[in-house]
Amino acid sequence: PRPDVSPPTPGTNLLFAQSGKIEHIPLDGYSMKKEEARTLLHVPDKVVIAVAFDCVEKMVYWSDITEPAISRVSLQGGQPTTLIKTDLGSPEGIAIDHLSRLMFWTDSIMDQIEVSKLDGSYRRVLFDEDLINPRPIVADPNNGRLYWADWNRDGPKIEMANMDGTDRTILVSENLGLPNGLTYDPLSRILCWADAGTRKVECVDPYSRYRKKVVEGIQYAFAVVSYGKSLFYTDWRREAIITIDRMAEKETDSFLPQRRSKPYGITTTYPQCPPGVNYCSAN
Amino acid sequence: DSTVGTSSDCQPCPCPGGATCAVVPKTKEVVCTNCPAGTTGKRCELCDDGFFGNPLGIASPKRDCKACQCNSNIDPNAVGNCDRETGECLKCIYNTEGFFCDRCKDGFYGNALASNPAEKCKSCSCSPYGTVGRETSCLQVTGQCRCLPHVTNRDCSACEPGFYNLRSGKGCERCGCNPIGSTN
Repeated sequence: PRPDVSPPTPGTNLLFAQSGKIEHIPLDGYSMKKEEARTLLHVPDKVVIAVAFDCVEKMVYWSDITEPAISRVSLQGGQPTTLIKTDLGSPEGIAIDHLSRLMFWTDSIMDQIEVSKLDGSYRRVLFDEDLINPRPIVADPNNGRLYWADWNRDGPKIEMANMDGTDRTILVSENLGLPNGLTYDPLSRILCWADAGTRKVECVDPYSRYRKKVVEGIQYAFAVVSYGKSLFYTDWRREAIITIDRMAEKETDSFLPQRRSKPYGITTTYPQCPPGVNYCSAN
Repeated sequence: DSTVGTSSDCQPCPCPGGATCAVVPKTKEVVCTNCPAGTTGKRCELCDDGFFGNPLGIASPKRDCKACQCNSNIDPNAVGNCDRETGECLKCIYNTEGFFCDRCKDGFYGNALASNPAEKCKSCSCSPYGTVGRETSCLQVTGQCRCLPHVTNRDCSACEPGFYNLRSGKGCERCGCNPIGSTN
């Protein structure tokens, strides 16, 4: 086991990036076990932005904007591996499709969305048009769909497409500010976003397009992850992790890391993959 | 290493401001784990994202971490706006570029330092017919494009009086009107 990796507890954990490290907080039901928060990985000279989790191999993927690079490490420890380090500008979002074993990422300098296998091979550009500041990207492996948001101040939008690049569609473009965070809940089939411009968290059903506000008056959201009836977002102003109860439509808890600096990407790690197959998983 | 049993086993962390540290057993490398506010890195020698400086003064004079200085030509919602050591601006907006986002990008002109974004950098929009080599760049401040012979205007979009055929792409030709029979 690698000394700078401390394996998280077997249950569900929150994982978030903060100034040269990735931290984890065990979850007990929906509540954060704050006193058990630990550093998962130290990468002191890097600025980690996105974090993502592959539930099959129990690997954590992250993007670093200083190299820039996309890397991964096993939750059990071992050497981190750099997967992508050429032709990157500012990789700020990573999505994992655990069924077809692919990763997708956004880059706000190259203004692209790219795809590769989880080891970084078979890399392709999926989209290189109409992207200004693409940031969060999430996958819905069961339906072979991708969702991403672009915080372009002259026209922020949330888009979707199939994983093969077909059927690219704008899902939301009205009343958006800076949609920094995006998360998809496969069970309720709901896409939610955290917006640092409108200071709201909202959700949309991508099929019916029914849109619903969850909370408003939030501080400055950077990234968000859904877990059951909860949403957790990283807040640049409070330098904290905030819990939202999606059903009660209010903030219910917050965690202030000991170290005061902006938190970036957030995701969850969990012991079992959600059930499902898609047509790419059969190769 | 507290397992050897000598008086020098435990040494103070080589970290500023009383920050805690840990030893990576495999490499024996010491890493600071709780750097003072605004700093990061193995020895707290780096500034947080969005700041630049040399907080420990290694290899060059000590400079406290300061927010990126890019003439208001960066977006506070962006990440990685400047180099953490040199302060070089990396994500200039409003069509600016340069170490401090202090000049207009090629193909743009105006005052990158103007306070109103609308007055910052405008497109040269040089006329392709009237500009030497169909260049798209112009003079930084005035925006004057490099015009072909007898072509005029900032954007080389018109012939001088007494000349015609801008669209030739070789400059304008003299009209050759008879001065006695012409009205002006």
